[in-house]
Amino acid sequence: MKVKVKRKWNVVAVWKWTAPDDSCGICRQAFDGCCPSCHEPGENCPIVFGKCKHCFHMHCILKWLGQPQDECPMCRQTWEFQ
Amino acid sequence: MATKRRLKTEHAQFKKTPPEGVTLLTDDPTSTRWIVQIAGAPNTVYAGETFQLQLSFSDKYPFSPPEVIFLDNPPQHPHVYKNGHICLSILYQEWSPALTASSVCVSILSMLSSVSKKEWPIDNDSYMARWRISRHGPQKTLWDFHDDTV
Repeated sequence: MKVKVKRKWNVVAVWKWTAPDDSCGICRQAFDGCCPSCHEPGENCPIVFGKCKHCFHMHCILKWLGQPQDECPMCRQTWEFQ
Repeated sequence: MATKRRLKTEHAQFKKTPPEGVTLLTDDPTSTRWIVQIAGAPNTVYAGETFQLQLSFSDKYPFSPPEVIFLDNPPQHPHVYKNGHICLSILYQEWSPALTASSVCVSILSMLSSVSKKEWPIDNDSYMARWRISRHGPQKTLWDFHDDTV
């Protein structure tokens, strides 16, 4: 079926990360915002899950890991990316 | 920047929903040195007494713990030295960025609540003697966390 759009058509969409919490346990900023090192939320500031199911901004958890900790900040299990 | 943003968020939450017996006295949300008053819990040896904690945040916070000490008259407790230094693992090696100023204060209040007798640490005199010479901060101490009961 062919559809012709006669008038100007404005498309609006919203997006949200699917996470069990509202905010990152490290920086305490909303997941739908971005980590404090970034300026824009979105794919460039993703959230990541560990095997323990806890999630953080990727930039936040990377700052914590290897200095020299390798544990999840929430449950202290060894952090493994899911 | 990251430190300032997190402190601002924490300051607002701490003021809005303070834990029972814990009061943030510092009003300036941009301050990196907070004074917190804690009230001894009812039915404990510190009931009716209040103490002041000083929390100092470095620009590595929350990836490094705040430096937390008791000011002036610290409680007489087996994990609190007379200079206000506190032997509590989460303030040093066991720190996690998921902890907050507020949760740290609750841990300290809980540590106070779990003793039935007021006593100074058994090594208080030697610790104080070393500290009078070095004047080191508590994060410079190599703590040995040996007591899991309190």
